[in-house]
Amino acid sequence: MDPIYPWLDPIEVRRLAERLMKPNREPTTTVVDAGFDEGFVGYASGQSLPENTPVTTPVMAPPHPPLPPAVTRLIPEPVPTQAPHSTLPREVAENPTSARGPFLDRINRFRDWMRHNFSASGIFILDREGAVIFDETSHGRLHFLARSLALASRRPGTSTGNVHVKISAGATLEVIPVETAYGCLVLGAVVPESLTPASVIAVMEALALVASPPSES
Amino acid sequence: MISIAVSSQKGGVGKTTVSINLAHSFARAGVRTLLVDADPQGSVGLSLTRQSRLLTGFYDYLADPGIPLERLIVPTRLETFSLVASGQASDYEAGGAGMGAHLARVRAFLRSVAARGFDLCLIDTAAGLFGVTGDVIASSDAIMIPQQAEPLGIRSVPKLLEGLNRLRVMNPRLTVLGVCLTMVQNDLAESSEAAAALRQLLPSEMVFQTQIPRDGLFVRASARGLPIGVLEDGAGAQVVFDSLRGEIEAKLEPNGAQNALY
Repeated sequence: MDPIYPWLDPIEVRRLAERLMKPNREPTTTVVDAGFDEGFVGYASGQSLPENTPVTTPVMAPPHPPLPPAVTRLIPEPVPTQAPHSTLPREVAENPTSARGPFLDRINRFRDWMRHNFSASGIFILDREGAVIFDETSHGRLHFLARSLALASRRPGTSTGNVHVKISAGATLEVIPVETAYGCLVLGAVVPESLTPASVIAVMEALALVASPPSES
Repeated sequence: MISIAVSSQKGGVGKTTVSINLAHSFARAGVRTLLVDADPQGSVGLSLTRQSRLLTGFYDYLADPGIPLERLIVPTRLETFSLVASGQASDYEAGGAGMGAHLARVRAFLRSVAARGFDLCLIDTAAGLFGVTGDVIASSDAIMIPQQAEPLGIRSVPKLLEGLNRLRVMNPRLTVLGVCLTMVQNDLAESSEAAAALRQLLPSEMVFQTQIPRDGLFVRASARGLPIGVLEDGAGAQVVFDSLRGEIEAKLEPNGAQNALY
């Protein structure tokens, strides 16, 4: 009696095996320009642009199709402002002489939107270097897991996709890499169950818009 | 230093037996070898040290960044052969999280082992390719896969190959040394047919020529806490593992990796 072939596809097995034995070249790392222009002053406190310094807008991605209403409500009216900055202590953020714009407000509204629509908690955002831009978890292991999963989800020649992993009963870590004008951001969120493809797209578009620079005044 | 994970999709295929005796073979050849028990069952430790359950080990290192490597290393009578037990903590106590959660600590562990002067780190992993085992494979230079020569075992091969292909995304430099047939019984038609079928199914370079026979000697060796080569009648079985070592050295040779061993 044939012990093997009724149970598996030998052609598929052979294909998997040959792929595994093929020497794997290290994927070439393409340094993607983050889109920061000369107007960007960084995340350090106390810095500000000189008056009348033009903030040039990086090349934008092709226009998106119309967003769901819930997403457009997140986006505030364009306000002439300086380049966005990372999270900072509230007292610094409110200091009118510091270069803090509405980015933090947009991220907070995005966080609230995620909570309201997807029962998301433990939301954090990492930049392309893996540094934390926004975090309400203080859970380094989740950050590390998100970075590893985002890296593992990359396929040469294709765009990054979302991944999710169950982290406990009733909790799934959703990891969504999002290409923004400032480079790839990795969103992590703990949700009761993994998001549907349509929800993932909505989240990606929302975060991409939230993270987009203000238009020129 | 070269790190080799000894892993399989199924349990009970002979990972620990292969790990212990292969590590011993390398150590006898003069390679400074560290055998790591990354199986929460602590099989390596149970085989080789009678007090393994009391030792601080690999899972304690993962759970506590303050534990130095020095505290884990257990010397043996063979100067070139040392062990790290699985430890007091278990996979569950270390977080029980999915793959990726311990990646940094596993890589830190391997860097420490290399810095300590070992030429080879052989890691006996738990069954399956997920959790800490996944992190070990994602951090190692190479992997070898013991595979039981029986029909049920062979049927798990597709899942194994899929899992390894996914892990190579995280570790593109992972070298698949190959599948080593274990528990081969040439006097049992089903076993020899399963072995032959696997050789037909997979590329020849993916299956070691050396096969590990099913032998009561291995059980006796484990009961006495010894590698099979040190048993009075273990010389014949030792030759099998020396042959396996030779095949591994030849596979590492094209990469220049063999130079890291000697």
